[in-house]
Amino acid sequence: MSQTESESAAVRLDGITKRFPGVVANDDIDFTVERGTIHALVGENGAGKTTLMNVIYGLYEPTEGTVFVDGQPRAFESPRDAIDVGIGMIHQHFMLVDTMTVAENVVLGNEPTKLGGLLTDERAAVEATGDLADRYGFDIDPTERIEEISVGEQQRVEILKTLYRGADILIFDEPTAVLTPQEVEALFEVFEELIAQGKTIVFITHKLGEALSVADEISVLRDGELVGTLPAESADREELARMMVGRDVLLEVERQSSEYGEVVLETTDLTVDDDRGVRAVDGVDFTVHSGEIFGLAGVDGNGQSELIEAVTGLRLPEGGRIELHGDPITDWSRRERIEAGMSYVAEDRQKRSLVMEYDLLRNGVLGSQRLPGFSDGLQIDWGYTRQYVDDVIDEYDVRPADPGAEAVSLSGGNQQKFIVGREIERDPSLLVAAQPTRGVDIGSIEFIHNRLLDLKTEETAILLISSKLEEIQQLSDRIGVMYDGEIVAVVDPDEVSEEDLGLLMAGERPSGLDVDAARVRAGGSHE
Amino acid sequence: MSSGEGGNGDDGETESGGSGGSSDADRGRGGDWRDRGRQTLDWLVNASAAQRMAISLAALVFAVIVGGILVFVSGFVATCRQPVLYIPLLGESCYNPAQVYWTMLEGAFGSTANLARTLQETTLLLFTGLSVAVAFRAGLFNVGTQGQMVLGALATGLALVPLGSVLPDSIIGMLVAIPLGLVVGAIVGGFWGFIPGAMKAYADANEVITTIMLNFVATGLAFYLVSEHLGDPGTGSVQTVPVPSVARLPPTIDGSRFSVIALVGALLVAVAIYLLYDRTVLGYELRTSGLQESAAEYSGVDAKRNVVTSMSLSGALGGIAGAVYVMMVHYRWQTGMPALGFDGIAVSVLAGNNPIGVVPAALLFGGLKSGSFAVDFALGVPGELVVVLRGLIILFVAMPEFFRMLGKYYDFGSDPEPVATDGGERR
Repeated sequence: MSQTESESAAVRLDGITKRFPGVVANDDIDFTVERGTIHALVGENGAGKTTLMNVIYGLYEPTEGTVFVDGQPRAFESPRDAIDVGIGMIHQHFMLVDTMTVAENVVLGNEPTKLGGLLTDERAAVEATGDLADRYGFDIDPTERIEEISVGEQQRVEILKTLYRGADILIFDEPTAVLTPQEVEALFEVFEELIAQGKTIVFITHKLGEALSVADEISVLRDGELVGTLPAESADREELARMMVGRDVLLEVERQSSEYGEVVLETTDLTVDDDRGVRAVDGVDFTVHSGEIFGLAGVDGNGQSELIEAVTGLRLPEGGRIELHGDPITDWSRRERIEAGMSYVAEDRQKRSLVMEYDLLRNGVLGSQRLPGFSDGLQIDWGYTRQYVDDVIDEYDVRPADPGAEAVSLSGGNQQKFIVGREIERDPSLLVAAQPTRGVDIGSIEFIHNRLLDLKTEETAILLISSKLEEIQQLSDRIGVMYDGEIVAVVDPDEVSEEDLGLLMAGERPSGLDVDAARVRAGGSHE
Repeated sequence: MSSGEGGNGDDGETESGGSGGSSDADRGRGGDWRDRGRQTLDWLVNASAAQRMAISLAALVFAVIVGGILVFVSGFVATCRQPVLYIPLLGESCYNPAQVYWTMLEGAFGSTANLARTLQETTLLLFTGLSVAVAFRAGLFNVGTQGQMVLGALATGLALVPLGSVLPDSIIGMLVAIPLGLVVGAIVGGFWGFIPGAMKAYADANEVITTIMLNFVATGLAFYLVSEHLGDPGTGSVQTVPVPSVARLPPTIDGSRFSVIALVGALLVAVAIYLLYDRTVLGYELRTSGLQESAAEYSGVDAKRNVVTSMSLSGALGGIAGAVYVMMVHYRWQTGMPALGFDGIAVSVLAGNNPIGVVPAALLFGGLKSGSFAVDFALGVPGELVVVLRGLIILFVAMPEFFRMLGKYYDFGSDPEPVATDGGERR
């Protein structure tokens, strides 16, 4: 690498190796990020992406190698040192104080003061935050409290925070994982604005589509090694996927359209309120047959969450009926539904599907603790549970492969693989899968998708909710589109285009589309 | 050793904040300290059971040494008629540290009477320690064991009085009276745990605050009831009529107020609670409910009801401590009960909230209390100094466990395989 090149580079890593006891997380990595560009860092969960970024951000000291920032070799003791030379990091899970305002969060730790440093100058804080927001075109009110704003806005507060501290190089750790598709769009606009103002961006992702659409350059990590760096224009999905996984990946799974069996789940005129008592699901009818995947598509917040909570027994419906195998289960407890063979991969895995302080062994029995095999209703059979957990870890490639590892120590993708495995291997007759591949890397997505399709042949009924349209389209036998608390259309995934689905999700009626007339409720929207 | 950990531990804690304006030299030293602090915390968090036992023992020895120096130095400052120790060049000391510790040990275990006093204290601390541990295990902090114990004791003391005229004064009578006393204590103590449990579950009221408040209510309520309505009319003190002999646990050692029956019962309860949390579905569900309510609901459990159950169970054990106190030690309820409930918190923390660990922790506390009583009594060492010695031992033994909990809280020691835990989504 010539001297001139490295001079212009915002960040250059020279032979970075990071070893932990027993593992090499990063192995002799050379990596250059040019000033004023967007550099995507892709790789599977556990490939060493975050470790590498933590080295740049000063959270870890490299075992070997040097970090150059603006051509100067740097050794960081702590993130504070990295911030001092203009590196900022936006973590996937935001480090914000919920009860404080946007401005207070932005200046936290570097507050403007008055009266000789005695008091925080609230007005200056609000002004500074407002100025920054204006400069980068963020539509954000500095005086609002964090708990009152959306996730996308919270992320923008995180960005403002790093900008306020003078960051020129911004590192984003899986920034899109927590965002809705619309918010992702908005984020990428923010990226462009940041670049236009001379900033440099490094972002970690395992969504190839995102990397291809916004990045200038893409670097691929696998098993701690840098497999290669490509300009985004000349890269394609298949090639990147192969570099990431180390083998050919089928990006499209083969869906066998099978014969459906009998009706497993049926809702009639189901009405559900949200936490605030506002109607979220308004008279929904649908059925899921055995051996069928019924996909629910919709923009977040159109009642999908409330609908599945009513189906799984975590929320009491206001009206209507739910039947499982012909039994009216509307009033059944969650426990009774589990015992009737209902499995559930919840949307919010860290809140619902896992006890973060438990190890995998204890999490393996969560929900099954009263099912035969796992216990006799009085004592838990830890031997059986251990066997079950070992099998799940093995088959779903959960890392670390240690039943004694606490859930909190696993990455999001591994947590998700563990949950999906736990819920599927219980041989459910109905699986409610909400965002089953959220935060999971490509190789594992393929595996989970195939596992879901296998489950169909075992005559399980599957209710699938996903914010990824392509996932819904690839897997579902029928797609129900939710808009404003209603299922406005039930369509055949092979007949419908992504554009038409998008229109339906936005409450429009695309012309010339067969939307299963019987399923469409009057007018398709408000009554 | 332990004091070094203390300084470093603090460093590790503030690590994320960083230390802004320090010079390079400072930083170099700070980094070194920080690294060592981190390593120590990692090691503590990952320490095996045997290692932790060794740490505790070493801490005990260290505490004795530090305490000994303290006693020795105090002996120089103090004036007394007969110095017990003479050291050339330094002069005379009033106290001999070796003698103090020896007396303490003898006072705790030296004779059957002393042993009985130790075990009496141990038994009571077992119940209160387990009361706190049960709640802790389920993710709840019950500071209200004291109040639960006071009310449990009062209820038992009152309920047993009329039995004297009903039951035969024999073993059969005892088989009725004693279980009844325990049940009454458990119900009333349990009710006093149920209240903060329900407030926590259904009104989101922090149990630490409510249980502290309810301690005052319990003590005040008991005092009012006994002094105004239910007291022993024959005396001027605020106390109830003594319970009949049929409701008294027979002393195992003559002249003492200790019954091995109560100790065995306490040990059985410790084992039962261990099994409850380690083996049973109910224990699993109670713990899940306390740790993460939404996950408990996901698993098909009424988390709110379970929080109430955990607190009631904890309160019931506090109530039983009160019942045993009445039936074994004091034979009546009297105002100013010892702070066994608060000591129970220390016992539980020392035991790492492990129900089996509560046994040695309670024994240590019991022995120290009984032993310091003897030091106070037999030597001219002031009571305050003895309390300091006791405090030092508890502090030193509890510190490693405390830092372990702190280290765990701040996520130390959890990434032996950080590659595998990579993915940017911790928490």
